Amino acid sequence: MSYQILGNDYFRKDGIGKVTGREVYASDVTLPRMWHARVLRSPHAHARIKSIDARAAQELGAVVLTYADVPHLKYNERIVSIPPHLYRDRTVLADKARHVGEAVAAVAAPTEQLAEKALRALQVEWEILPHYTDPLAAQRADAEPIHDSYILNGQEIPVENNVAVTRVVQVGDIEEGFAQADHIFEREFVTSRIYHAQMETKSCVCDPAPDGSITVYPTTQSIHNVRQLLGEIFSIPLHKVNVKRVAIGGTFGSSIQMNSIIPICVALALKAKRPVKLVSTREEDMYDHVRYQTKLKLKIGVTREGKITAGHMQALADIGGHNIQAYALLSVLAGWTASLYNYPNLKFEGKAVYTNKTPSCALQGFGNPQATFAAESLMDEIATELDWDPIEFKLKNYVGLGGTFWGQGPSVQSIVRSDGVPQLLHDGAQKIGWRARPKPGTQTGRYRHGIGMARGFHTSGAGAPKPGEVIDYSGAFIKINEDGSVDIVHAMMDHGGGTLEAIAKIVAEELGVPIERVGISPADTLTTVYDVVTHATRGVYAGGGAAHKAAVKVKQQIFDYASRILGLQADSLMIEPDYELMQGVIYCPNFPERRITLGALAKQLQVNSWGTLAAVESLRQVNCPPAYVTYFIDLTVDTETGQVTTNRAAIGSDCGTVVNPAMAIGQLEGGLSKGMGYALVEDNQWDAQTGQLTSKGFWIDGKTPAISEAPFVENIITHFANTYEPSGPFGAKGIGEAATNPCAAAYANALYNALDIRFTELPITAEKILSALAAQDERASRASDYLENKVVAVMQAAE
Amino acid sequence: MNPKLVTLSVNHRTHHVALNPNTTLLSALRDLGYTDVKSGCEKGDCGACTVLVNGIAVNACLQLAWLAEGQDILTVAGLGSSDQPHPLQTAFADFGAAQCGFCTPGMIMSAKALLDERPQPTEAEMRKALSGNLCRCTGYARIFEAIEHAAKQLNVDSRG
Repeated sequence: MSYQILGNDYFRKDGIGKVTGREVYASDVTLPRMWHARVLRSPHAHARIKSIDARAAQELGAVVLTYADVPHLKYNERIVSIPPHLYRDRTVLADKARHVGEAVAAVAAPTEQLAEKALRALQVEWEILPHYTDPLAAQRADAEPIHDSYILNGQEIPVENNVAVTRVVQVGDIEEGFAQADHIFEREFVTSRIYHAQMETKSCVCDPAPDGSITVYPTTQSIHNVRQLLGEIFSIPLHKVNVKRVAIGGTFGSSIQMNSIIPICVALALKAKRPVKLVSTREEDMYDHVRYQTKLKLKIGVTREGKITAGHMQALADIGGHNIQAYALLSVLAGWTASLYNYPNLKFEGKAVYTNKTPSCALQGFGNPQATFAAESLMDEIATELDWDPIEFKLKNYVGLGGTFWGQGPSVQSIVRSDGVPQLLHDGAQKIGWRARPKPGTQTGRYRHGIGMARGFHTSGAGAPKPGEVIDYSGAFIKINEDGSVDIVHAMMDHGGGTLEAIAKIVAEELGVPIERVGISPADTLTTVYDVVTHATRGVYAGGGAAHKAAVKVKQQIFDYASRILGLQADSLMIEPDYELMQGVIYCPNFPERRITLGALAKQLQVNSWGTLAAVESLRQVNCPPAYVTYFIDLTVDTETGQVTTNRAAIGSDCGTVVNPAMAIGQLEGGLSKGMGYALVEDNQWDAQTGQLTSKGFWIDGKTPAISEAPFVENIITHFANTYEPSGPFGAKGIGEAATNPCAAAYANALYNALDIRFTELPITAEKILSALAAQDERASRASDYLENKVVAVMQAAE
Repeated sequence: MNPKLVTLSVNHRTHHVALNPNTTLLSALRDLGYTDVKSGCEKGDCGACTVLVNGIAVNACLQLAWLAEGQDILTVAGLGSSDQPHPLQTAFADFGAAQCGFCTPGMIMSAKALLDERPQPTEAEMRKALSGNLCRCTGYARIFEAIEHAAKQLNVDSRG
């Protein structure tokens, strides 16, 4: 398939603003009369607030908010799930602290300095409660409840043993399935609690107007969901809540939910009756969101012929102090597992437990990096044990063309209609030199070399033929201007990966207009139709799909009106970009002299009072195609220091039609960096005694990868499958989150290849590698002692 | 302690501004409207606030504004504009070295200090000069590429 515009690289529309520092993020917004806010956060992991004395702070001229001053409505901050599945356990300010860093009071003052002074003048009397950093301790019968209850579907539900939610998903009968197996493999995998480490801390500016309306500039992945929640919490009709789209300084899932500081900022602005800016410090941000930490016990049964007969996953998720999306997490852990390989019989048992730590949420892949680490590590082990090439073994069992893919848990399923996995595995194996990889256990010496492979995917959106447990809806408004240029009014957020660039290209391609004449309008909730959120790798597929639907409608209008002016049948007309005129030209190949530019047509319609070339459309896709990814990692381990060096990586992507080639490669390279961090170094540790981060809010202690260890461009081989997704706009599907999901397993498998050791706990740090090598040495020397003794014994017996 | 009137020279413009002794250069610059200087951590961890002070790359969050009096401060907005971008700015935009863009101003200023000192930096020099600038989006590969390209461009320009 060849395209005029898709698949070409252009200067990105927001590039020059970013490199000259003129892009505006939430913290850059400054308004007249604006005050500054600070938040009082709990130093205790679990404590009731007996009283807050705000008099000294108020005497300094600050506006002060405590639990008593904010609406007591319990809300769930992530309204992506449909209303019956929203677990509401949070209020604007907390009535009791459930983790260190929980917001319990807030102040606003004319300057940041005065706000800080007022904050320190607040006197809080605490009643310290027992706290739990370990989900097993939190579940003990005598444990102090972290939440007494939550609200679900209008009902108050009591919490027992600090278990937030459980979910069981079954396909077939696993007992029967395991009975059919010739071999059964089982391992427990532990994943870490890493921090999103997005560059911009969560920030918000709220501007209240005298008529009771508010204008909000937040850090968010969804302006419309922020609007709906603020309207509900503060009982403001939605036409008086305008949420503006500003650029976002990285997010990786941490702003799918309305960030906790947004309603605090709004409450302060409403009370102060003036604009208020609230910018989180880095330490506050590190106490606000992390990736879900999981313990995954995975059991797989296989026949002698290498066919999977059954799978059983038991998942324990440590969700921290609030339930942002634990029900959805358990659903997708089941879904990703079911979609990686064909399990005729599968059982998933998941449990999510509250602890007194930072609340967990999605982080690039939402449960997928965890589930894929477990499955891809175990599948590699099974293949090796049964003497299969892991590639062949996985190809025999994976869910591909014609299979059922669970894009967002059991309620979002569709049939796979495009599948580049065989091509990606073949190409990746060739590029990395798979067949020449070492045999495990054959290397000696200080430096050992290994090659590992893992595959995976992410969903493209959460569309499906039937309504699911999550909302997946996007809308776009497109209009043609009098010079033939095009405005796209779309509420979707672009996190920097080029989602809006892709949408502009899709519209330009459909309308036959030069990309330089397609504009992305500034967006706010007053002037755009609903878009759920940029998450679930849905930007191009679902957001682009909605824009494409609107463009198709506008194109029909163009031909209908042009046919009246040109005196030709609408169906005989075509439109193509003319790069001299810099606009689209409508013509009929049979009558080349009958032509009109798009701009002239738009203007003529106004002169004739015939109408406007514009359309608004909304869309929920009826599929959730898998965006497949393959990873091959070539590394060297220094067995004296435990350091791992990435020599080369081959990353393959099946994103259907590649809309933004350079930016798609950028997604894969960024995915490698985050995946390597997750595999080898990144972690957050909590002090069990205090419930505090041991990093004390110092970012680099979380080990976000820096340029010092980054591989060079020439060592990162990226390649794409030649596929076309029939349900996507011009054959496109997603890429973003897929780019990182299998990475940790590829590292673990490469380490096995180098060292003959299976690592099942993330991150696989230098310390863990050294202690595993020491244990391996000890086993080896014990074995050789045993052999030596035996030889001596045999010789003695012979004498 | 009381504020004092400080003269700051930013991007070749002079500002007279009353500042407290504990105000950082980062706060002073952002309050003056230089929002191109980004605040990422205020602890010297991330490098988002990197500016040049007398040609040396510093974390503006770790320097007190009083101490910058009389020094030449250059921010990314002073390096080039949308009409006349600096080769580093053009290269960062062209080579995909900027995604979300939040680390970009600091990253470009660290690279600028490097290229001023070493017009043809080695790999080790690049890694060292940018080791204090975090980026979570790109994985850094394109940042190396952008700096190498800009270095070539600047060397061609200087040979004229």
